[in-house]
Amino acid sequence: MSESRHSTTSGKLVRLGFQEPELAAGQLVASPLSDQAVQCVVAALATSPDPDTALRSLTRVVDAAAEFPPLLADIDEALQQDSEVLIGMAGILGSSEALGDHLARHPEDWSLLGPTDRISSREVRTRLLEAVAADPESANPVAQAPYDLSLQQLRLAYRRQLLAIARRDVVAGESYENTVADLTDAADAALEAALAISRAEVGERANKCRLAVVAMGKCGGRELNYVSDVDVVFVVEAVDGDDQEAIQIGSELASGLMRACSTETPEGALWEVDAGLRPEGKAGALVRTLASHIGYYERWAKTWEFQALLKARAAAGDEELGRAYESETARFVWDAAGRPNFVADVQDMRRRVEDSVKGKGAQRQLKLGVGGLRDVEFSVQLLQMVHGRDDVLVRSGNTIEALESLADYGYVGRKDAAGLAAAYRFLRTLEHRLQLWRLRRVHVVPDDKTELRRLARSLSFRRDPVEEFETEWRAKQLEVRRLHEKLFYRPLLQAVARLEPGEARLSPGQAKERLTALGFVDPEAALGHLMALSAGVSRRAAIQRTLLPVLLGWFAGKPDPDMALLGFRRVSDTLGSTPWYLRLLRDESVAAERLAEILGSSRYTAELMTRDPAAVALLADTDDLAARNESTLESMALTSVIRRESSESGMSALRAFRRRELLRTSVADVLRLADVEQVGERLSALAGATITGALQAAIQAIAVEDKLGIRFLIVGMGRLGGAEMSYSSDADVMLVYEPLLGIDKETASREAQSLASQLRKLLSIPSADPELVLDLDLRPEGRSGPIVRTLDSYAAYYRQWSSPWEAQALLRARRVAGDPGLGADFATLIDPLRYPAGGLSQPDLIEMRRLKARMESERLPRGVEPARHVKLGPGGLSDVEWTVQLIQLQHAAQFPALQDTRTLPVLRIAQELDLIGNTEEQVLAEAWQLASRIRNAVMLATGRSSDVLPADSRMLGTVAHLLGYRPGAAQQLIEDYRRATRRSRRVVDDLFYGS
Amino acid sequence: MDKQTEFVLRTIEERDIRFIRLWFTDVLGTLKSVAVAPAELEGALAEGIGFDGSAIQGLARVSEADMLVRPDPATFQVLPWRGETKGIARLFCDILSPDGSPALADPRHVLKRTLARAADLGYTFYTHPEVEFYLFQSPHEPGGPPPEPIDRYGYFDNVPHSVAHDMRRATISMLEAMGISVEFSHHEGGPGQQEIDLRYADALTTADNIMTFRLVVKEMALEHGVVASFMPKPFPDHPGSGMHTHLSLFEGDGNAFFEPGAPYQLSKVARAFMAGLLRHGPEISAVTNQWVNSYKRIEGGGEAPAWVCWGHNNRSAMVRVPMYKPHKSGSTRLELRTLDAACNPYLALAVILAAGLQGIEQGYELPPGAEDDVWSLTPAERKAMGMTPLPGSLGQAVDVMESSELVAETLGEQLFDYLLRNKRAEWDQYRQQVTQFELDRYLPLL
Repeated sequence: MSESRHSTTSGKLVRLGFQEPELAAGQLVASPLSDQAVQCVVAALATSPDPDTALRSLTRVVDAAAEFPPLLADIDEALQQDSEVLIGMAGILGSSEALGDHLARHPEDWSLLGPTDRISSREVRTRLLEAVAADPESANPVAQAPYDLSLQQLRLAYRRQLLAIARRDVVAGESYENTVADLTDAADAALEAALAISRAEVGERANKCRLAVVAMGKCGGRELNYVSDVDVVFVVEAVDGDDQEAIQIGSELASGLMRACSTETPEGALWEVDAGLRPEGKAGALVRTLASHIGYYERWAKTWEFQALLKARAAAGDEELGRAYESETARFVWDAAGRPNFVADVQDMRRRVEDSVKGKGAQRQLKLGVGGLRDVEFSVQLLQMVHGRDDVLVRSGNTIEALESLADYGYVGRKDAAGLAAAYRFLRTLEHRLQLWRLRRVHVVPDDKTELRRLARSLSFRRDPVEEFETEWRAKQLEVRRLHEKLFYRPLLQAVARLEPGEARLSPGQAKERLTALGFVDPEAALGHLMALSAGVSRRAAIQRTLLPVLLGWFAGKPDPDMALLGFRRVSDTLGSTPWYLRLLRDESVAAERLAEILGSSRYTAELMTRDPAAVALLADTDDLAARNESTLESMALTSVIRRESSESGMSALRAFRRRELLRTSVADVLRLADVEQVGERLSALAGATITGALQAAIQAIAVEDKLGIRFLIVGMGRLGGAEMSYSSDADVMLVYEPLLGIDKETASREAQSLASQLRKLLSIPSADPELVLDLDLRPEGRSGPIVRTLDSYAAYYRQWSSPWEAQALLRARRVAGDPGLGADFATLIDPLRYPAGGLSQPDLIEMRRLKARMESERLPRGVEPARHVKLGPGGLSDVEWTVQLIQLQHAAQFPALQDTRTLPVLRIAQELDLIGNTEEQVLAEAWQLASRIRNAVMLATGRSSDVLPADSRMLGTVAHLLGYRPGAAQQLIEDYRRATRRSRRVVDDLFYGS
Repeated sequence: MDKQTEFVLRTIEERDIRFIRLWFTDVLGTLKSVAVAPAELEGALAEGIGFDGSAIQGLARVSEADMLVRPDPATFQVLPWRGETKGIARLFCDILSPDGSPALADPRHVLKRTLARAADLGYTFYTHPEVEFYLFQSPHEPGGPPPEPIDRYGYFDNVPHSVAHDMRRATISMLEAMGISVEFSHHEGGPGQQEIDLRYADALTTADNIMTFRLVVKEMALEHGVVASFMPKPFPDHPGSGMHTHLSLFEGDGNAFFEPGAPYQLSKVARAFMAGLLRHGPEISAVTNQWVNSYKRIEGGGEAPAWVCWGHNNRSAMVRVPMYKPHKSGSTRLELRTLDAACNPYLALAVILAAGLQGIEQGYELPPGAEDDVWSLTPAERKAMGMTPLPGSLGQAVDVMESSELVAETLGEQLFDYLLRNKRAEWDQYRQQVTQFELDRYLPLL
């Protein structure tokens, strides 16, 4: 023990970067190493990512070596004289505790801390096979060492490879590409050696079967991690034609191989071999013949499975069979883009990746997080599948290679590809360093400062390691986060831009291919819009050029990307250079995303919006889209008409008010901020307010100073009365008046007639805004009756003439505008009719059933398939409503809770009263809701009202999207609707027809 | 272009094929065919060719008549009976909606969809049908006398130099030439009645094979100057023609029905599958036995099953568990005996599979098996043993099917609705008939 050693004070150690100098000083003092060696070590450790751990590990290594003095002497000498070993020691022991453990158990491996050359895959294979005493020259090498020994030797040999690779990677600055290739070679060789062990276990019979181990995933792409499951698929072939036996033996070989890799021994385990990508996944057979694999891919496989096949590579076992598998499966991969559901599948897969990412919110996730590795790999593979069909040059299973070739041939911008590749290399290297520490499968970047510091130093950040690292990492994440934009969409803009010399780019044909794969039906027109939007030197064009790649990404996810792009062009042509509009888009706010959703799925809303582009501003704030209560709506409607110079200008303000409210409602509907009941309530309240406004305008037009000699009432009927209007519902109403005290009947009647016709006239003034149609056909005597009557006249009519259907219609009557007192009087008048004491008489019941039966056969339009008619088809709206109304006619007098104009609440109460069963209520409610939602969605999608599920498949797709179905699942909507109505029809048969 | 498509196009060139028949099947199982010239085939394979779907039974409504048929290149086959050169070839087709998604009413798609459901659970469905049919002297004229069978021989009779023998041989070699392996063939119990067993294959191939088989048999019969029919029960006093079908599920390459040491070597999966077949047997009846005449066979006694029950090697049970052959784990299977050869094989195999899968998924318990000849039991005995009858007529079968969620789910709502209406109409039409039986019995008496 000399002075010099003690002179290595804690103070010096602190300066060198030690966190626990006292502990370190103690270890140095006690070290069996010579003083010179200790001096060298101390100096070298200053460069280590983690000097404390490195010294701790080194101490264990030399302590272990001390038991073999010659070995200790060798190490001591090397540390003094071989600066390469010294650097290697500091680098490896400071970045991997696990490799330190290995060296402490096997100090004889110390020389691997010195520089090594890369070796060929053949050479690695030889070394690992020899480790288990198998003949590397044999076509089917068999391990000759005893089983337990073989397992240990394999692990040792493999770990030595790992040590050498890590030394080159961490210390010698080996490239990412070479590192992952070397790791893959080592894994291949380990699989081969594990197979040799398994062959020894199975014995002679192993020769009856050819087994190929095909690597998939990262191993297949020759881009393996330090530690990860190795994905494989096993292929067998009989040597003598007995498939059954070959499968049996192959299964034993395969599971033996998996065991040989995963079994824990004193030397640990290698890794898990994961065969989960095989046909039928975990449920499928472990091994299959080539023909059986092919059969599966021909018949069952899904698009994502073909994507997985892109990386298939013969890794071990029978090479010829493995290669045959590669080439046989390749055709599926490259045909996948031609599969009927490819576009839908791809959108689905992308969404799933994005969704799985969103939920996590894990900013520090390397693999699955936003801007993570998975995202890069997935997107590169997709582009390969789209363009690799026609272009064999972009088919590599390796992410970096694939990205480079995509750039070389113009499918991705060169700068974007280079930036992305750099980010990918950085993230993968970061992952490597994380995993190296304990040789564990880690994908989360720690937030502990000490760990972060080590990590940052191992990545060569030295000045302020943690800060520098975090900054760099964020920058790379950002790079990746813009990936879809860069990979998929920006090249499309470049395709229509002026060509920079020397830059390859998508040809128009390839651009169209890409647009088609993204779901555009008319790629020609889309290119035209892109050109128009991005052409020129204006500020607006410049902003559009940066925006469009993002927007295109959103459009591509909509059922009608073509309509979205066209709509966007229209809105932009109008709002063009309005500053707030450009700001709204540039910030990629929620508003811009919502705009894409609306333009890409709702023609109705898009048209309302084109009438009033400024309303785009509405999209910015969810609160702006909320429902307004009835009194607010009414006062807004009244404000529109009060004190206008003419009733025409008042009406046009009222119409504009209604249009804006329709827009707000439909936007809320498209964005799923309101359910079908709420939409019905909003539309009905809006109709009520509009009628109130129009009534006010009519009063202003005919009365002096708004003074009338009558009280006037507007009763809502039908869907308006039920507060469940659709976008296309007419307002069914009846008009009632009563003379004020002292006004004679004649005058009052004249005034009422003139007010009623003024009201109708005002509401039907031609205008570009949507019209609210007033329908008076439900009044007594229908079209031949007077349009307005006094309360007494209604009473007289109902006393004398009324038929069951009129009582039924009155079930939905409620005041929507006019005199509240008169409304109450009217209700008192009709209640005994619509809620008859004792329920319906038998003849009335029969009459009602017959009427309904006749309607079913007569009212359905010709040529329409009944099952697709949501109103009149079996089990549809009309079926459910008649059933509900029958229940009311029969029981509402007895149970006043049933006295409600709305369909669903009555159903609920009828169930609570046990008038109908739980299932019956659910079945009817489900059918009614689905039918109502479909009717609204058809209007939103097409801009035209229809009660029939569209036959046009694109329209149907849009309707399905609006109802929340995945792309390509439109047929499922029809199936669901048919099922719901089949069930509801059975209930209607039972409850309404009593059969 | 994938390899199979290349192969198809090359073969057409090399073999000088002049016409390609595109085959598909309507809801009732009738084979439909569109002929295209070789030049049109490539386009058809890539995009399908349009046709008016409303012209085909149950396929589409007038409003959505535009449909596509797209040939499945894996089913390419030169039709051998038209001579080797200047030949004709066929491909089975999938029917697509105009947007390229599978048409829900395509029976082949119904089966594919159900098979995909099985695949999700890890199963492949294998089937092996034994098809029976009669050979007659001449075609039947409406209102004409009862058909005349071509011979008077019976079960397994080896009839020297008979037309039947030649015709069976010709049929088998033709089937083999078309890649359909035949396991077994012999003279069946009725006069002129034949049986040909197809080798086991996955269910989609089996269904395609049955469609081909029915056509080949009819063609071959005509070439031999006789007429073949798959009508389930042409004679009141001779056995009907069924299509007993052996069923098994494979998990990967292993038989999921096999469990060494279990009773009859039947695994839990097999027992639950069988329980599913039994429980849902009545409601799938209108699909497995879809004609008025089908129920004449069911009710006719003999080897036809009329009650819901199973038995080990019991030929009167609805489901028979065949004798286990030692060391043949692959051959463990169930034999469903209700099916007749006049079914739509796609739909029938789909509902059979669906019933079995339901049993597996919901873990149905298998009721005890029947050891006796079910026909010889008294009604009280059968009742005591808990055997319920299968529907005795098409009308009953349709009534039971109408409330079946299983069948609706499997066939899809549209096809289900169509089938209900079509079968109900057939039953109503049949009920209006005045039969020979009534005339003979009542006219003299009443």
